Amino acid sequence: MNELGRLELIRESLVAVVNEMRANVIRSSFSSIIYEGHDFSCALVTADGRLIAKGEADNPSHIFAVPYSTAEIVKKFGEDIHEGDIFLHNDPYTGGTHLNDILMLYPVFHDARLAMFTATRCHWGDVGGMTPGSLSGRVKEIYQEGMRIEPTRICERGRMNEAFLDLLLNNMRISHERRGDFNTMLGTSRKAAEHIQRIFLRFGGDTLLDAVEELISRSEKVTRERISQIPDGAYHAEGYLDSDGHNSEPLLGRLRLTIDGDSLIADFTGSSPQSNGPMNVGPAMALNAVATVVKSFLDPLRPVNHGSFNPIEVINPPGSFLNATLPAPCGGMSECRALMVALMVSALGQALPEKLVGDLKGGANHVYMSGPKPVRGGDKAGIFLLYEYPAAGTGATIGADGNHVVRAFTEGDFNAVQAAEIVEMQCPVRIEHYGIREGSCGDGEYRGGCGMRRDIRILADGASLSVLADHAVIPPFGVAGAQCGAANRFVVLRDSEVIQPSPIPGKVGGFALRKDDIVRLESSGGGGFGDPLDRDPERVRRDVFLGYISAERARTRYGVVLDGGDLVDTDDTETERERVRAERFTLPLQLGNEDERAGARRRFTVSKATAERLGLDEEDLVEVSSRSGAAALRGWIHIGETDEALQLGRLGAAALGANAGDRVELRALSAILS
Amino acid sequence: MTGARYLVGVDVGGTFTDLLAYDEAEGYLLSAKVPSLPGEQWRGVLDALRELEIDFDAIRAFVHGTTIATNALLQRRGAKTALITTEGFRDVLEIGKGRRLTGGIFVTAWQRPAPLAPRDRRHELAERVDATGEILSAVDPAAVSKLADALRRQEIEAVAVAFVNSYLNSENETAAAAALRGKLPGIPITESASLIPERGEFERTSTAVLNAYLTPVMAAYLEMLAQELSGQGITAPVNIMGSNGGAMTLDIAAERCAGTFLSGPVGGVGGAVRVAGAAGLREIITFDMGGTSTDVALVHDLTPRMSHDNQIDAYPLRMPQFDIHTIGAGGGSIIWTGADGTLQIGPQSAGALPGPACYGRGGTEPTISDANLLLGRLTSDRPLAGGLVLEAAAAETAFKPVAEALGTDDLVAVADGALAVAVAKMAGAVREVSVHRGFDPRDFALVGFGGAGPMHGFLVAEELGMTEVLIPRFPGHLSALGQMMADLRRDLVKAWGGRLSGLSLEELRHETATLRRQGADLLLADGIPADRHRHEFTMDMRYTGQSFTLAIPWQTDSTDFGPLRRAFDARHEESFGYAVSENDAEIVNVRLVSTGEVDKPALNFAPRRRDGPKLSRRRVWFGRWTDTAIYDRSDLPPGFEFSGPAIVEEEGGTSVIPPGWSVTVDDGGALLCRFDE
Repeated sequence: MNELGRLELIRESLVAVVNEMRANVIRSSFSSIIYEGHDFSCALVTADGRLIAKGEADNPSHIFAVPYSTAEIVKKFGEDIHEGDIFLHNDPYTGGTHLNDILMLYPVFHDARLAMFTATRCHWGDVGGMTPGSLSGRVKEIYQEGMRIEPTRICERGRMNEAFLDLLLNNMRISHERRGDFNTMLGTSRKAAEHIQRIFLRFGGDTLLDAVEELISRSEKVTRERISQIPDGAYHAEGYLDSDGHNSEPLLGRLRLTIDGDSLIADFTGSSPQSNGPMNVGPAMALNAVATVVKSFLDPLRPVNHGSFNPIEVINPPGSFLNATLPAPCGGMSECRALMVALMVSALGQALPEKLVGDLKGGANHVYMSGPKPVRGGDKAGIFLLYEYPAAGTGATIGADGNHVVRAFTEGDFNAVQAAEIVEMQCPVRIEHYGIREGSCGDGEYRGGCGMRRDIRILADGASLSVLADHAVIPPFGVAGAQCGAANRFVVLRDSEVIQPSPIPGKVGGFALRKDDIVRLESSGGGGFGDPLDRDPERVRRDVFLGYISAERARTRYGVVLDGGDLVDTDDTETERERVRAERFTLPLQLGNEDERAGARRRFTVSKATAERLGLDEEDLVEVSSRSGAAALRGWIHIGETDEALQLGRLGAAALGANAGDRVELRALSAILS
Repeated sequence: MTGARYLVGVDVGGTFTDLLAYDEAEGYLLSAKVPSLPGEQWRGVLDALRELEIDFDAIRAFVHGTTIATNALLQRRGAKTALITTEGFRDVLEIGKGRRLTGGIFVTAWQRPAPLAPRDRRHELAERVDATGEILSAVDPAAVSKLADALRRQEIEAVAVAFVNSYLNSENETAAAAALRGKLPGIPITESASLIPERGEFERTSTAVLNAYLTPVMAAYLEMLAQELSGQGITAPVNIMGSNGGAMTLDIAAERCAGTFLSGPVGGVGGAVRVAGAAGLREIITFDMGGTSTDVALVHDLTPRMSHDNQIDAYPLRMPQFDIHTIGAGGGSIIWTGADGTLQIGPQSAGALPGPACYGRGGTEPTISDANLLLGRLTSDRPLAGGLVLEAAAAETAFKPVAEALGTDDLVAVADGALAVAVAKMAGAVREVSVHRGFDPRDFALVGFGGAGPMHGFLVAEELGMTEVLIPRFPGHLSALGQMMADLRRDLVKAWGGRLSGLSLEELRHETATLRRQGADLLLADGIPADRHRHEFTMDMRYTGQSFTLAIPWQTDSTDFGPLRRAFDARHEESFGYAVSENDAEIVNVRLVSTGEVDKPALNFAPRRRDGPKLSRRRVWFGRWTDTAIYDRSDLPPGFEFSGPAIVEEEGGTSVIPPGWSVTVDDGGALLCRFDE
């Protein structure tokens, strides 16, 4: 065999295995979230738990965590792994994501030694727990989120542990569907293992495994080369999740990112302690988030393997909500990961400003509607479970607007919305509206994409609503002086009255619905890029023409004046832009030693005059932004004695990317969002 | 024999228009190849016809494979299209299910391709059908009338109507479309459920909009073509090749133009089925490799597999079509080195211009064709079609930078390595249509055709462990040949079913009888007499709770569901690695394929030389330089046997037969090859 083509040949062959696994799962699974939502991923992992290959559309949040889980299984079972064994895992504290994501690891042997694993991670529609669908914004401990499976051998030398499986599945809702999903994973793993055996036969075991090592080390080399082109230094970022689900205190995430030659150190020390609600993650997700941004910023087009992770070091002390321990619930995995992604974007974006991208919807936006299923035709009585996971607007980049309602670069490429025609067939609901949420985009020279609005009428009594989402209070940020996108919003319309289903926006646990209620889901808009006053007026006109923003908004945010015939009035626009610019409230930056905080909250002290001018009260949410900076910096207002200047500590100024004396803009978020 | 004696197939490609006429009286093929004229495909068709110098009166049938729809879409030259949809669903077309669909998952600046009907041309209408098919609110004629005014103001050229749940009850959709037709004479209107009555509002809407967007372009072209052909005195019926592998009349082709995207490639599959059938093969994988791409398809029991869930460009397409998988690797694909020092192929292609470096037309990057020249598989000794002589020195120069990046000066090793990678990619495409669908490629014969298919087919077969390869006569013209012999075909579907345990056989018989009647009526309207009709039913089936379905054949004389259920379980086990006989299974759709058979000639080609083949030899690289026999295809008589290594040259294709293969020339002139080590 010719050696020059062999490496690529072997990579191609291994990726083919993963693609075949994907096709198998989609076409034979039973959870709609799997076959419609494609919320699953497949990969191949080395015998010691390093990633060999993933599928082209696979969700990095699933797959970048698989090595951690595999390493735990190898640690636990060591030499005691045999042909015919199969392992199951979902425990967040040992590398799982959230409990709904069930991982099956299937060891593949060659020449009587463990050669690699196939990994299939599928989001099961329900894994037991407090509320249907298992994810809820109001849980207090992980036991309420369903069955937790530490690394477990469910099949020993070909003999399935049926008692364990029965116990597992009997504690999940709609258990026959779960069994179907289990069978799908099993069939997929078996066929993949057969396929891998053929590849071993063809290339020979040593040749194949050597090539895998070579491919990993070459990927590492490419990633290191790219990192070494980033200016050395330490970059700071901070950001918030809305709340833990039980009170309105935000959770603070902090990142100190160090670029040192060809390696990168991401240090999350100083983030809030683990919470009593679902907003926590286990240890695997920090590397997952960091690697996703490194891949996207530095090397987005080539296939992924473990080599891309090797140059990354993560420091993330246990006990914080970003590395939680038992019994912290971890349903908010996606939300915590999204925060870590956002921190990485702001920090790495300070080093590489041309890569900056506006913030995203802040997680997965889990929404569950469930209740008794009216008996129809030959169907048996039972419950229905409608799981929605709306996509949102994506963030803008330099030169490109964000997109409306689509998967973002952090998520892989799977469906984010189910067909109304399928949902209505399976559940007693009617979709009355599904479209672009007008006006939700983050304004900027390049604007973010708009989010989604979906109205779901409930047609049966006795249903309930659970939501687990973030960015329903603190909206997605803009970058390089741009503005934020609209926050997520989940409300119930009852007799034309708008009802908040929870005191904590975005965190709903089993809210009782009535027949004819309309559940309205509005997902967030993406953050913008750059100053809206620099946007090409023609683009603004087109956004108005297509109904994405109003003519009023074009004038007040973009300074673009349209004449009656929907044309840009050039002279008036010039005048209006000057007026808007002059009206902005800016303050010079004053550098202090320490950042001011009240609990997790960053505090901006402003004078009474400033507060009055901006219509701000004590504790109001604001942001500070700078054209030359990266992400807008969020904080809460404290009215006190101060000069007409904005005091920031060293870390705050670094996170904003501004220097002492720079004039920065202070904005009330309520004013932007209204 | 006088009168109608020619069957004509025309395949219009991006570069060339390829025409084949079969003289039934004399039993020989005439071919012509002329440049395609962008925007005026019909002119190329006429030019090619004239080049044949046949009596136009004597044409009995004429089938045309066209890329009009595909080109108009890729160049966004379709009509100014409006979408009328259910109130509340205006943006479904644009945002779909929130997927990217065009790759680049880690790319932060990814941009969604623009929808074919922009937001200002998407209009909502108050109407609603529920999930049981009941009409909750009917269409208000006054509202439609107002809408028609708005469409007129927008100077709309085509309209798609797609309502939620119209696949269950299309009354509202039909009423709205009828009212609009009355108000907007001359504007084509596509109804989603009449095109494809299948569940899934996004896919159905997308298909209807694609169809509406392209109908005016297609209709204008077909009208021009019909006019020009009849101007030349051609009175034979003219049909268009559909993506479902059947021919259709010009009217239907305009009305359902979203069913013509694969008009060209399906011809090749159809031709391969004919040639394979004649050679006694029933299980084949077609391998059609051209200059920029390769199309593969799986044919089970001489029936090409169908696919209902397709995508063209960035847009979902639900029209039934042959399950053809295309990858961007062909003879002109460029060879380069990746950032990590691995050999990479394509998807960039040197195209027809400048073409591979060895064409000597200014191409400087090495391609697959250049690699074949360096390995002695192509030769400078024999000019290509059109008299082009390949330049080995240019190929060598082009390979040097790649060799340098890989740290070697062995150009032959680089060329060989590059071919191995290209072959792996193509094998991946074959796996996609076989292994991913639950078939083992080793149970199939590979049929290699297209300009580069016979050159790489054997390598792909070896990669996959396939031991049989068939190279048809005239491999470069197989698409036109397939079109020439295409039957007429109509695909019908009815969303009907439920759990097998609760279904009534009698009701099913009623449904199949109704569909069958519809199919027969359509074929009669196409001019096919009833004794030439064939009707085949399949059921889309799944386990209750699943979403994707498997198509299981249904015999209308069955007396219970037992055999259907057993066939489904077996197919599920084959496809997905498990079956659960205790689970409920259900039918989702009843599908009917109605075929109107046309007369097909037996293909016989006499060898040019009666005294046996003339042989020459040259050195060719097969892992080492190997003294290799070189044959001229037109010399090979039926029954002639030889073995690899061998090269068979002919106009429009070179068969590269590696060591280990033995070849028999069959009665139709095809090379039937077996790997026996």
